[in-house]
Amino acid sequence: MTDMGGLIRNRIFKRWTGCILILILSICLSGCWDRRELQERHFVLAVAIDKADEGLGAERGKDVDRVEDFVQPHGSKLYRLSFQILQLTPSNNSEGAGRGNTSTSVISTTGESMLEMIWDLQGQSNKELWFDHVQTIIISDAAAKQGGLQPILDFYHRNEEIRWLTKVVITDGEARDLLDYKPPSGEASGLFIANSLRMYAKSQHVPGWHTDLGDISTSKDNRRRVLLPRIEMADDVVKLGGMAIFKNEKFVGYVDEYATQGGKLMGGLERSAVITFQCPEHSGSILAFELFSHTTKIKPHVEGEKIYYTLDINIRGNMAEMQCRLQHDTIKDQDIHKLEQLVANVVKENILYSFRIFQDLKVDASFFGPKLEIYEPQVWERVKDHWDDEVFPKTSLIISVNVVIEGVGAHQ
Amino acid sequence: MMANLEAKSYMTPWQLAIVVFVTCVGAQILLSPRSLIADAEHGAGISVVIGGVLFYSATCLMLVLAKKYPDETIVEYAPRIFGKIGGTLVVIWFNMLFFLQVIQIFYGMGKIITFYMFDRTPPEVVILALLAVCAYCAVQDWGTIMRIQQFMFFVAYSILILVWLTSILNLQPENLLPLWPVNIKAVVGGGLSTWNMYAGYECVLLLMPLVYRQVSLGSLIKIMGASFGCLIVLFLLVIVIIIGVLTVDGAKNLLYPALIVIRSVELPGTFIERLENYLLIAWIPVVFDTLAAMMFFMGEICMRHWRQADHRPWVLFLVPIIYVGSILLDNQQVYEMANKFTMWLGLAFSFIAVPLSLSLSWWQKRKAGTGCG
Repeated sequence: MTDMGGLIRNRIFKRWTGCILILILSICLSGCWDRRELQERHFVLAVAIDKADEGLGAERGKDVDRVEDFVQPHGSKLYRLSFQILQLTPSNNSEGAGRGNTSTSVISTTGESMLEMIWDLQGQSNKELWFDHVQTIIISDAAAKQGGLQPILDFYHRNEEIRWLTKVVITDGEARDLLDYKPPSGEASGLFIANSLRMYAKSQHVPGWHTDLGDISTSKDNRRRVLLPRIEMADDVVKLGGMAIFKNEKFVGYVDEYATQGGKLMGGLERSAVITFQCPEHSGSILAFELFSHTTKIKPHVEGEKIYYTLDINIRGNMAEMQCRLQHDTIKDQDIHKLEQLVANVVKENILYSFRIFQDLKVDASFFGPKLEIYEPQVWERVKDHWDDEVFPKTSLIISVNVVIEGVGAHQ
Repeated sequence: MMANLEAKSYMTPWQLAIVVFVTCVGAQILLSPRSLIADAEHGAGISVVIGGVLFYSATCLMLVLAKKYPDETIVEYAPRIFGKIGGTLVVIWFNMLFFLQVIQIFYGMGKIITFYMFDRTPPEVVILALLAVCAYCAVQDWGTIMRIQQFMFFVAYSILILVWLTSILNLQPENLLPLWPVNIKAVVGGGLSTWNMYAGYECVLLLMPLVYRQVSLGSLIKIMGASFGCLIVLFLLVIVIIIGVLTVDGAKNLLYPALIVIRSVELPGTFIERLENYLLIAWIPVVFDTLAAMMFFMGEICMRHWRQADHRPWVLFLVPIIYVGSILLDNQQVYEMANKFTMWLGLAFSFIAVPLSLSLSWWQKRKAGTGCG
């Protein structure tokens, strides 16, 4: 025992023990044992989900479809899942990864479970697929109509690799075609679409509010409607505009750009918009008002069984275009007030147009129900079960718009 | 021989306040909000305030009790109040509170880290690594641990709060409404269930001998009030932002809503993204100092109970037990059962054992006084 104590107190022994410990620790702490270099990964930039018999392309042979397919023990071939993959190694192709160009490739398979399809897609890739950088999920409306959003998006909501801010769009064509699209900017189409959607504040026709993957999850949890921006493609032209509405995760229908703008005006979501109208004094001339800032207040009112809403809107902006400008004296307050009144009427018309469309579709797209829940919880308890189908289509909206024209540009 | 400068024989009341704050705020800021919001819904914020007031009152009772036995911890005076067997049971109960919390924190932390950071690594490996680091800290003397806690209080918490506050960008105040009417029963129940968030304040029963000479009981109660005030503000900030961003129904359906809140933050014009990783990086040291302190307290309780001079062998003895305990919580259901059991054990300790100790000690002192004539 004494020998042992002496040994422990021995300086040389302590030094050697220290050295051995440092060596062992440096082996254990030398880095990530399961590291994967960037060039050893395949980053998925965009996901396209079509119906199984869509997304085939005219030039593809039957053999291609057979090779892409796999034997599925359960379920049926409902969806075609396609990935746009970023190629980090320079392409030999002259059209490939040149200056400012991003080289991508697209792979597809068919099946029912998203995860099963992903594992099958690994058979078409020599590197592991990574989903950390998925920018966009494109869903074809045929796929969405088939089984609703739940089977399509559930995997992406559960997976921790996927970003909560991933953009989700819907197309009435084939979603895979959008992965093959080469934007003029040279970037991958997945990035192009995501970046275009981020500009929603600059376009009144693009519904960018609460349409990300995470927002869809929250809307579903609250049993609220889901709105998805619509994207269309014809030849080499791709454009965002309008939106698709889902109720209880089922596709209800599309609404046009004008209704989308009305919805944004209702919700106070416009940061920048253009409101055009005919000059009442000079037919054939168009006036354009540019909106800079915008606030709204929606309040429910209950009178017996009748429910109605008041919507107060305050808008500030500039007259940006007056095709008949020399015939208006915009220095005079009187003329400016007339123009403000005209803009207010146009905004009212736009909002009522959207409101009626939502009522016809029986979808509370602008959260009138939640306002009732907040301000009149007892009434809400009474009507919540038949709100969308019976109560909301019968509600009325009283709109009051206050427009302030702050300037008329460089000319009077 | 050089004196051990890390062995503390006193601490200031503000240091105690920091220790209580740091020990209370641990893993539960990420682990607890889901169940609280599911129970109390829009009234979860009120539950946090009720819980804060309730557990501050419990802490005050503990301070009054501890002041009656200067220079002693509950481990020494419990047998005098309850008798040898009763006292031992109270000490075991007291230690079990720390033990159960520690294993749940290890389990929860292992789960979160593997889910969000190292998805291919088994949670047991993460727990083992963290346990080794915490044990290393817990075998130090109190002076070292206290210094780490103070350092974390100023560094890790400021980063954690700063990252968390970025989620205000996504807050929609209307999601917090309606504030009234609230389900009073659920809100009060939620207030009790916040014990898991505030738990750790029991450490005053161990640390009071280091403080009592520095300050009067009244001042100490006021200073602890500041500590609980900060806790209430922090927990309110967490709960209000979660509901404001995700809504009550959204938060109920997510396993770790706080992480999803931060996941949905986009900082325009910056290259910083996936903020949940930044939050986790700031959260890990926060949990580390809670765990290290609790493991130290467990070792200290055993040491005092067995009348030994060193807590370190006890910490090392407890390490495998803690590891096995945390991996025995092998699924969410078992974890939630353990969580509930610990909550009732903790509530009973604070609101039955401590008031009973106080009453008995008053009665015993009065009896002794009468006996003396």
